[in-house]
Amino acid sequence: MAITEDRPLALEAGETTTVNDRPLGALTRPQSDVGWKSWFTTVDHKKIGIMYGVGSMFFFLVGGIEALLIRIQLSQPGNSFLSESVYNQVFTMHGVTMIFLVIMPMAAAFANYLLPLQVGARDVAFPRLNAFSFWCWLAGAIFLNTSWILGGAPDGGWFAYAPNTSVTFSPTNGMDYYAIGLQIAGIASLVSAINLIVTVLNMRAPGMTLLKMPIFTWMMLVVQFLLLFAVPVITIALFLLTFDRSYGASFFDVAAGGSPLLWQHLFWIFGHPEVYILILPAFGIISEIIPTFSRKPIFGYPFMVGSGIAIGFMGWGVWAHHMFVTGLGPISVAAFSLSTMFIAVPTGVKILNWLATMWGGRLRFNTPMLFAVGVIAMFTIGGLSGVTHSVSPSDTQQTDTYYIVAHFHYVIFGGALLGMFAGFYFWWPKVFGYKLNERWGKANYWLMLIGFNITFGPMHILGLQGMARRHHSYASEDGFGFWNMIVSIGSFIIGLGVLAFLINCWVSRRDYRAAGMPAIGPDPWDARSLEWSTASPTPVHNFDYDPVVEYQDDWWHQKWGKNDEGKIVRKAYPEDIAHDGSATDVHLPSPSYWPFVLSFSLPIIGYAVIYTHWLLIPAGVLFIAGFLGWALEPADDPEAAHGHDDHGHDDGHDDDDDPDDGGDDADGAAAEDEGASVG
Amino acid sequence: MKRRTPAVVIAIATLFLAGCGERPLNTFSDDSEIAGDLSTFLWWLLAVCAIVFVLVQGAVIYMSIKFRVDAPEDDDDIYPDDDFPEQIHGNTRLEIGWTILPTVIMAVVGVFTLGLLFDLDDVDARGSDPRIESVTVVGAQWWWEFQYHLTPAGLEAAGLPAGAEGPHIVTAGELPLPIGEEIALDVTSRDVIHSFWVPALNGKRDAVPGRTNPWTIQTLEEGRFPGECTEFCGLSHAYMEKWAVGLEQADWDAWAANQAADAVAPEDGTPAAEGWSVFANNCASCHVINGLTRMGSGGEGATDTFQIYDGANRLIDKQTQVSGAAPNLTHVMSRSTFGGGIFELYENPDSVPYLDLASDGDLNLGDLEAWIRNAPAVKANAWDSPGGQRGMTPFTALSDEDLDHLVAFLLTLD
Repeated sequence: MAITEDRPLALEAGETTTVNDRPLGALTRPQSDVGWKSWFTTVDHKKIGIMYGVGSMFFFLVGGIEALLIRIQLSQPGNSFLSESVYNQVFTMHGVTMIFLVIMPMAAAFANYLLPLQVGARDVAFPRLNAFSFWCWLAGAIFLNTSWILGGAPDGGWFAYAPNTSVTFSPTNGMDYYAIGLQIAGIASLVSAINLIVTVLNMRAPGMTLLKMPIFTWMMLVVQFLLLFAVPVITIALFLLTFDRSYGASFFDVAAGGSPLLWQHLFWIFGHPEVYILILPAFGIISEIIPTFSRKPIFGYPFMVGSGIAIGFMGWGVWAHHMFVTGLGPISVAAFSLSTMFIAVPTGVKILNWLATMWGGRLRFNTPMLFAVGVIAMFTIGGLSGVTHSVSPSDTQQTDTYYIVAHFHYVIFGGALLGMFAGFYFWWPKVFGYKLNERWGKANYWLMLIGFNITFGPMHILGLQGMARRHHSYASEDGFGFWNMIVSIGSFIIGLGVLAFLINCWVSRRDYRAAGMPAIGPDPWDARSLEWSTASPTPVHNFDYDPVVEYQDDWWHQKWGKNDEGKIVRKAYPEDIAHDGSATDVHLPSPSYWPFVLSFSLPIIGYAVIYTHWLLIPAGVLFIAGFLGWALEPADDPEAAHGHDDHGHDDGHDDDDDPDDGGDDADGAAAEDEGASVG
Repeated sequence: MKRRTPAVVIAIATLFLAGCGERPLNTFSDDSEIAGDLSTFLWWLLAVCAIVFVLVQGAVIYMSIKFRVDAPEDDDDIYPDDDFPEQIHGNTRLEIGWTILPTVIMAVVGVFTLGLLFDLDDVDARGSDPRIESVTVVGAQWWWEFQYHLTPAGLEAAGLPAGAEGPHIVTAGELPLPIGEEIALDVTSRDVIHSFWVPALNGKRDAVPGRTNPWTIQTLEEGRFPGECTEFCGLSHAYMEKWAVGLEQADWDAWAANQAADAVAPEDGTPAAEGWSVFANNCASCHVINGLTRMGSGGEGATDTFQIYDGANRLIDKQTQVSGAAPNLTHVMSRSTFGGGIFELYENPDSVPYLDLASDGDLNLGDLEAWIRNAPAVKANAWDSPGGQRGMTPFTALSDEDLDHLVAFLLTLD
């Protein structure tokens, strides 16, 4: 993403202090925040957010190709496009990729970029730890996918039910990659959860009480708590699996007294909160978009926050509904059946509150709003089919059929993913300084929505017709051929929709550059939260001064007020009151190599567990180097000239920075702002 | 036409399920009492969901049209300054209302759910003269075994002495049931988790190694009811079927009497006798034939690799281990399918009465020979897996003559 380099942000390192004047060496502290190298050393939450976005989009294409392979295989009865073995690897990796390498990091992209901005902070609490999270995730993702060329990908399903994942039944190294790759990626989630929780709880702008936070911030806060408690559970399960497979332990081996159901409980105690980890970010995103494009405040803010928290709590009490046919006995099944039914209540409240927000509003159907309304419509379908499985007796017919596949795709694709796309269109101007093209955006939306329904709608019918999941093929006498062909056609329409998005990214950027990179202004949508109160793209230091918050939707209240007759009138134009990014006395944490070094020692440890322990030597060297380097290096480089205060740098582009900023070095005060930035 | 709603719903259902095939896999069935209850229950539930669906989608579409403001061509443009709708921040009463409303709806659904739930694995309709005490259902990669334990009446029908130790009948792939009798199943597995499901007759229940899960099955209709494995179990997860077969009680008695009898060695000098020797040399290490092979005669691999554990995780007495690593073939020709239920043994299974298949069916020789010669080529398995053999070995070295003899022998196993 070179956009920020095209329009340099106000506060890059001045010429006299630039890294170019210093000897470059492995041990020299990196300085630059422009250029391709800066992406590897950055600790800026915005750059990290962008990297999460690009990375998750890449894996979205990978997971999408896997989905298309599955759909080619299932398009007609008795097909042998993929062998049984490859099919099992492909559907396993489709699930693993879409959940751990797409939806979760995509949500992390939004969280990283937006949480500090929405709470009025300059960065996350622990910037280097934040970089470490990203690199850990990427290291885990790459590690997992190297299994394709190193003897076979995981083939036990994303749910990896024991004992099918033991060495006896899955003799390739695929499940080792699964277990270790997800442990590495899990470190990313866990560290990032702590980081973001501290950021939201400790670094909010003065005046922003918890109940004045934007809903997106609230939902992401709930998600981080879910991650904080859920990730350790899956980590334990994966750790046990690694020991079963690599060191002959027998946690899940019946013959040795182990229990296959232990895996299922551990997996779903993580796995069900995980569902809310996937969906709540999208709920947060559309809770920002719908008010903005309805020109009304969110309806029932306390209920929206409360229902999000309720979902977070209740999400812990429903895991066994994934195990209704496992044989838990009717008492447990009854309890989990009821708890699952009642989790529909807070979700229903959210849907009704979004509808009430739209009611009587001035609905402006720009692309973000289209996607957001799409989420309401599609998620409702997923929610309703969810209610039908909470009824455990009829779930014994539906579970492990395509009805379930339809259900969770309506939730995760129709809810989470469409929500993320809404977010892309909404915040794109904030991140890159220009809007995405509306025409391509609409093509993107309608292709995806129509393709999505053609793909996953008929799966309800297939499931009720009795088509089981994870089957390599089906017989022509089964009568599944017709709908499967429709489904496969639909999946390629989704593919076209994704292609439209990629084209849109390219076209919009091209048009923007062709037009001479016109400034878009801080607040192109007349939006409501603090990220819109600073220049677009966001200046490297976010805010010129600490925002002070008075109201919920504070930015909106800065622009609009009521006159004596109670009529809403404009108080100010965004351009006049927004931070223009011209402050020069802000001291930001310095970039660092060490998070990158440390995180990439982890996959080498993974290979050591799988292949030979000799690899622990290079891995250990890297690990200790990264660890010590990080520990011994101060959060701020004392040798770097304080304050990115020299503005004599000319990059040859027009930009609207104020050339007259004086640049008094006031980093004493500013460093205090960053007092928490010791990560 | 008893009630209005179901009629409408059924009309929609017919439309939706129009693509249905010849095999009754679909989950809306009244071939058993439970399946009928589940199906009725689901229709009501879907009707409730349909109402909510229509209301929400209707609201979305209505509002999208009614409250739409045409986006200006220049997409940088925003609302005019004075065009504000009423700024409503919420309405506590309304919101409490729509918190309580779904709670009440779900509570009502919950009450009905609990009623049906406790009925699912409860054997309450055994009939006046039940034949079957229980059937132990054993999932294995990638086939199903059924071990029948008979009641005294069942023992008598099968011609077995009273008090004979079970299991009394052991078969694979097919589960013949006397019509009307609700039967207790004990579902377990030898290796990984499978799931037992005959959609026309009941929901599913997982077969978990080390556990015995109770379940029930009943059929009210004559005929074959297929069901697939529904818990992912590896390579041939898609190719692991079982068939419940509904038989009139008299027919079932005849079936049981045949099954309970041991196989008889073919006469010397016949092709079948040649085939028996081919079988003994190649197949008996995994396949048991009651009366001909002995338990464990297949060598140590067969009994040591696959062991059956009961619910308390104790190794069940080997005397009751009634098959080797592979299906018991004592009466293989009396079945309508082979190879884990996925190949038809006869060309015309549905036009000949089930009991007469062995005598009147047209043998599907092509598939049978292909299977014996090279099973992994027609159904994926892991016979050569480094983790241990799972699935049938290919016998590509068998001569054509040996194969003919082997088939002649198998044909005696009716």
